[in-house]
Amino acid sequence: MPDVVRGDRLTKRWGATTALADATFAIGTGVTGLVGANGAGKTTLLGMVLGLHRPDGGTIEVLGQDPVTFGPRVRARVGYAPEHDALPPDMTAHDVVRHLAEVHGLPRRAATERASDVLFEVGLGEERFRQVGTFSTGQRQRVKLAQAIAHDPDLVLLDEPTNGLDPVQREEMLHLIRKVGHGLGMNVVLSSHLLEEVERVSDAVVILDGGRVVASGRMAELRGTDSGELVVQVDGASIDAGPALVERLRDDGVAAVARGERVVVALEGPAVYDIVRDALADLDIGLRRMEQRVSSLEDVFMAAGDDE
Amino acid sequence: MSDFIDMSGPSGSHIYDGGYRKYTGERLGQSAAVWSVWRQTVQRVMGLRRPARSKVLPFLSVIIAYLPAAVFVGLVALLPKRINQSVLPAYHEYYGFITAAIVLFVVFTGPEALCPDRRSRVLSLYLAAPLTRATYLLAKAMAVACVLTLVTLGPPLLLLVGRALQGEGPQGPLGFLSVFARIAGAGLMMAVFYTAVSLAVSSLTDRRAFAAGGTLLAVIGTSIVAGILVGALQLSSGWFLLNLNVPPLELVARIYGMPGQLSAQPTWLVAASVAGWSVAGFALAWWRYQRLRVTR
Repeated sequence: MPDVVRGDRLTKRWGATTALADATFAIGTGVTGLVGANGAGKTTLLGMVLGLHRPDGGTIEVLGQDPVTFGPRVRARVGYAPEHDALPPDMTAHDVVRHLAEVHGLPRRAATERASDVLFEVGLGEERFRQVGTFSTGQRQRVKLAQAIAHDPDLVLLDEPTNGLDPVQREEMLHLIRKVGHGLGMNVVLSSHLLEEVERVSDAVVILDGGRVVASGRMAELRGTDSGELVVQVDGASIDAGPALVERLRDDGVAAVARGERVVVALEGPAVYDIVRDALADLDIGLRRMEQRVSSLEDVFMAAGDDE
Repeated sequence: MSDFIDMSGPSGSHIYDGGYRKYTGERLGQSAAVWSVWRQTVQRVMGLRRPARSKVLPFLSVIIAYLPAAVFVGLVALLPKRINQSVLPAYHEYYGFITAAIVLFVVFTGPEALCPDRRSRVLSLYLAAPLTRATYLLAKAMAVACVLTLVTLGPPLLLLVGRALQGEGPQGPLGFLSVFARIAGAGLMMAVFYTAVSLAVSSLTDRRAFAAGGTLLAVIGTSIVAGILVGALQLSSGWFLLNLNVPPLELVARIYGMPGQLSAQPTWLVAASVAGWSVAGFALAWWRYQRLRVTR
């Protein structure tokens, strides 16, 4: 399967500020998180994917085409929901979604049908003939998502789609994004500075820091299992079990730290497994679970930052 | 997207499946996008599919523009022909009766067409579609011009048709076609001219009120400046062409073969001033939109 978006030494400057510097990355199918702090270059990159900004250096390819040269052709196959509020307050949700579907090339009748269906899909079926100006922040985010997918694009770009949402609305939005990416079969680029939400819905990730790509790849590959730590979950019958195990392991020369019912042990070699087993048996502590700790996206992000 | 499965048998029942489906139908190109923006803008400017208060100003302007024509057509029917000819204005003189309506229409059409898209930042969604800044502006300009023809083209046409139907129109088919062509040329020219003016001013701000005030100020301000140049400083009457109201009305008179109020000025100069103002207006709007940053 060819890459959906591919950047090669992509550079973009805004005056004296370098928004993207030699960014090389590949975005494949599925849901890809575009992660970075505010000002890392995420929105600039989305603008370049849309062909709205000409690169100062390097090349970019979207759905097999150069978006600068073939902007309208590329954008016909892309859906975009910007970070900021971008909906006319005095139009109904249905009119907005239908009109933007038409602008993306759908005939009027198809656009009308799909506007209704997509608004039902994002949970606004009953409210679709209400003016957007009367909607809550969460509902407006859903309208933005609906207009981005109404024309059935090959690629959907979502810029901070959970901004301004409360925890329940955020949960619902993440569910919708997962559904768009995995249920409706569209490729999604989810731009966010919230690592936890990207981690929950994404298959792959591109991490930006100060305009540079510091890590990219499939989520499973990036997290890996080589954190160098073993998590031992002990039976919680005794509150002293954790500290007792830590003390015994330290006596055996193995670094460990207790965290509630869990003990995190430095995995310095395969012998550590035997040492932990023997310690548990000697102390008569029940074992619930023992596994290598998987890195979180935050660990990957921090490690990538340290490498830089 | 939705599937309608016809299961109508003896029971006459149907299954309607409203779930999401891949779209496999026809996809239209950039021209369809332009057409869609054009239609939406015309609807917006005329207040269609919007609350009743949005319809007041456009429909009031249209009524004001058509009222004199309707009255004149009525007079043709009621008064004897010899009185008609002394009372009724010539076609090119009709614009003098509706200048206020045209200015009123110009003052709110451009701002209504351009400003809300930037104010509510819908522009970023348009430019993320198969439109470019140029094709977006083209769609907007065509919509504004089209709406303006309602007041620059429609009323004189009503007058022509009304008079012709009562046997008071131009002599013969050729005479009718000749007047028709002049009405069309004059109406379109005025629509394009005022489209350029209103889009230029509206491109400078995203607030409708400021854009409307600015357009009005441009019309009044240029008339004051031209008046000072010609009246107080005794410069040539050609400087009146700086007044935004003068070049189109003067060119209308020339289209009808009349000398107009600036008879000392050659027609090419009048036409050049109309073209110059129009090009300058469109160029300013284009330049502004090329520099607009919609995402960063």
